[in-house]
Amino acid sequence: QDVTLKLHQFLPAQANVPKLILDVWADSIEAASDGRIEVERYPSMQLGGRPPELMDQVIDGVADVVWTVVGYTPGRFPSTEVFELPFMVTDARAASAAYWQMYEAHMQEEFADVHILGTWVHGPGMIHANQEITTPDDMQGVKIRGATRQVNTLLETLGATPVGMPVPAIPEALSKGVIDGTTIPWEVTGALKVPELVDYHTEFEGAHFYNVTFVLAMNKGVYDGLPDDLKAVVDENSGLEFSVFAGGTQSDADGPSREAALDNGNEIVTVSEEAAEAWRVAAQPVYDKWLAEMTELGIDGQALIDEARQLMADYEG
Amino acid sequence: MSDLEIGLYSFPALLIMIFLRVPIGLAMFVTGLVGLYLVTGGNTVALSRLKNETYSTFSSYSLSIVPMFLLMGHFATLGGMSSALFRAAEGFLGHRRGGVAMASIGACAGFGAICGSSLATAATMGRVALPELKRYGYEGGFSQATLAAGGTLGILIPPSVVLVIYAILTEQNIAKLFLAAFVPGLLAALGYVLAISIYVRLNPDAAGTRPAIPMGERLKRLGAVWPVLLVFVSVVGGIYGGIFTPTEAAAVGALGTALIALANGGLTGKTLIESFMVTAKSTAMIFFIVLGAAIYNGFLALTQVPQEMSTWVVSQGYAPITVLLVILLFYLVFGCLMDSLSMILLTVPIFFPVISALDFGLVDLITMQHEAARAALASVTDLAPDVRAEIEALIAAGAEIPRELQRAIDIRVTEGVVNRIAAEQTAIWFGILVLIVVEVGLITPPVGMNLFVINAMDKATPMLQTYKSVLYFVGSDIVRVGILVAFPAITLFLL
Amino acid sequence: MLGRIVEALARLLALLGGLVLSALIIMTCLSITGRWLNGVLHSDLLEGGVLSTWLLALGIGPINGDFELVEAGMAFVIFAFLPITQLRSGHASVDIFTARLGVTPNRWLAALWSVLFAAILILISVQLWAGTEAKMRYGETTYLIQFPIWWAYAAALVGACVAAVTAIYVALARVAEVVTGATILADGADQ
Ligand code: NA
Ligand code: NA
Repeated sequence: QDVTLKLHQFLPAQANVPKLILDVWADSIEAASDGRIEVERYPSMQLGGRPPELMDQVIDGVADVVWTVVGYTPGRFPSTEVFELPFMVTDARAASAAYWQMYEAHMQEEFADVHILGTWVHGPGMIHANQEITTPDDMQGVKIRGATRQVNTLLETLGATPVGMPVPAIPEALSKGVIDGTTIPWEVTGALKVPELVDYHTEFEGAHFYNVTFVLAMNKGVYDGLPDDLKAVVDENSGLEFSVFAGGTQSDADGPSREAALDNGNEIVTVSEEAAEAWRVAAQPVYDKWLAEMTELGIDGQALIDEARQLMADYEG
Repeated sequence: MSDLEIGLYSFPALLIMIFLRVPIGLAMFVTGLVGLYLVTGGNTVALSRLKNETYSTFSSYSLSIVPMFLLMGHFATLGGMSSALFRAAEGFLGHRRGGVAMASIGACAGFGAICGSSLATAATMGRVALPELKRYGYEGGFSQATLAAGGTLGILIPPSVVLVIYAILTEQNIAKLFLAAFVPGLLAALGYVLAISIYVRLNPDAAGTRPAIPMGERLKRLGAVWPVLLVFVSVVGGIYGGIFTPTEAAAVGALGTALIALANGGLTGKTLIESFMVTAKSTAMIFFIVLGAAIYNGFLALTQVPQEMSTWVVSQGYAPITVLLVILLFYLVFGCLMDSLSMILLTVPIFFPVISALDFGLVDLITMQHEAARAALASVTDLAPDVRAEIEALIAAGAEIPRELQRAIDIRVTEGVVNRIAAEQTAIWFGILVLIVVEVGLITPPVGMNLFVINAMDKATPMLQTYKSVLYFVGSDIVRVGILVAFPAITLFLL
Repeated sequence: MLGRIVEALARLLALLGGLVLSALIIMTCLSITGRWLNGVLHSDLLEGGVLSTWLLALGIGPINGDFELVEAGMAFVIFAFLPITQLRSGHASVDIFTARLGVTPNRWLAALWSVLFAAILILISVQLWAGTEAKMRYGETTYLIQFPIWWAYAAALVGACVAAVTAIYVALARVAEVVTGATILADGADQ
């Protein structure tokens, strides 16, 4: 082969995203290039460092391609947070499509140091806890692990006590009662044994409680250095279509995990669209705070929100 | 040269450097850096990694346990806990043949319960017990060997710094590893006591005796041990009682021992600074090795050596137990030359994938199903008689219980669940075995760190004499490793 | 003279590291206490009472971002502990094979490796500076307290620089020992 791309990410190889999205992407690049591109896959941070460093690793060329959670590096890519706002996203495919379009239109400057291959969000963000949570009142004083800066703000706004810890620490913290619950989408619950450690899951009809944004990013120099035909192969396998595929696939992976929780005899609380209204009202300060922060950074947050809503509606309509 | 070859050549390169007295952390760091340069064909990757790697290695939440436990050990000594332990154990055992030596082992075990390091345990108890052993006419080499061996209980009995490192390297649960180490740790103490009684029987002149002291005095001395108990219960009990994480437990332990030392006057401005200096040295030494290992292991991963190695071993079809014994033997031999932490950091990333790929038959699907079913049948009352009969028949026949029947009695023992348990148990069992063999390395001649530390305290005793006596303890260690390999349940039954 | 300055600097950093470590220990214990009290005040027995409502309004609970503070603080602590370790030859090494070589070859080896060590610590400091500068440029923050990550990098950098300076001093002293045959640095253990 002519080119070897080192793909680095933080989950074990058999987890959903590596297995169902990244491997598919890598295989299809390898096939489309007739084997001239080889993608070496390094799961579980095998190349060293910790997940927040993935972004720097791809910028510096430690890895050629990384998959990472944008929220792991708070403050660096503020515009993407529009998709992390509470009750913003209703469908992962629509949001991933809108995210890509908005990346092309407004976020290229924030991501100027890398070549972005795909942008997507996961399925509905939700709460898994060892007590029943149906209304915002039930959140008072509950110790919950949040996924990103935005989620922590949301938890705090709702009166819960956000507890920060890395993902692998969740099972132990839950089993020891160090935390009462955690926010993650269904899809990751299996790997973290969450259904065995909690009894209740709170999901929301309609818009998602929260969401997390991902990017698949490539080193700029490596991309620019590819011969034109290989560049075309990479381009064909990235962008809008790939982003929608990734968001959709990750969201579809929620189903089996939800089944597993039911099998385990857990109780799933579904907050109806009407009942979610109380949650939206309680979460409103998160929007206000975010808008103020964006203004401070010279970004028109409201415009981003409006555009994201419009693009998601267009996709769904 | 292929990447794989570069990876393989890095082993001899690294060993030559280490044997030429390059500090171990530095040797791994440099080998890893040069390796990265060769494999990636330039210095971009190697240099870029250094931008974040040092900070991210040193700012690890889990590793922050290490300096906290080290500090806790110093405060415990300042608080008089080491001498209280020795006096109590000596009160009960001192009048027996070899009793003062046995008491030293007991005190080491007790101190090991609040100290995470072998060297610190050996050094601390050495300072307390060596003069006493001398006073009662114990032979110098024998006394030193006893304390060096007793020191190894510091990492065997939880809390343990080396176990924390192993847990982080293999992504295992620290609390479960601590729990698994408990019984093997007690067995070690027992084995050393046996070694002492055999030694004094064969060498009657090696130990003096003293008259028994009255029971009242013994109980009084035992009463003085309460701070040790308090610290141990709040640290270890706190972890298992779900009150805090291991890192938090270390913080609680450090603060608790500090307060006790402050209360009895052991902790002053001067001794506090002294504790900082000593903790600083051990901490930085450990973390620099951790850093070197991170750089070296990142390079090895790029060369695919660990994956290729485990694929190769599995494809050879050796019996898992043979592979395990070869690895343990390797540790025993290298333990004579290198210190335990460096060995763990250097070798676990290579050996662990190999061990994980093998099936040791630690858990069995049918057995687990039947155990769960029996327990469920005993507690479930409202079960249809025919369902009950069907399950009982399956148990009697030694057959698998299908999903629907399991659901009827609210159990769910599937292949996936069992595999996950098997993987975890293998990791924990292997971790404890490795811990023990590297800990043996601390007392095997010629390079045994504990022996050096103790021997330095009493220059009158030649090293050779200590070497001879310590073989009895090494023998007891090897017997124990054999027992733990043969009966994994001794390690795993508490989990 | 130079020796005394380096010695004082290394001890000062180790002392600062010890103080920060102690502060982290105390902070962690306070956070545990807060978390526990918060749970008690929210318990069915006390929930809604005047006192517990008042105490909760005061913000009794775990310290926000305690975990991040421990991480950031530890980076400084470890780097601050490096200089004294460097100065006292505290790093683990295997001397069984070189023990028989005699004094002069061993001095050569010691000199050689301390020069290598100094070079590596300089490299570490330079790259850590690059890391600090990058974090500053990207405006990355921690995710709970949201303080800029580069603050923690910069604190660590102080320790790294002193460690590099100490290592240079040690290297010079070791080379001088080879040249003059005198003993300048006391060897390793038990200081
Ligand atoms: Na211990
Ligand atoms: Na040894």
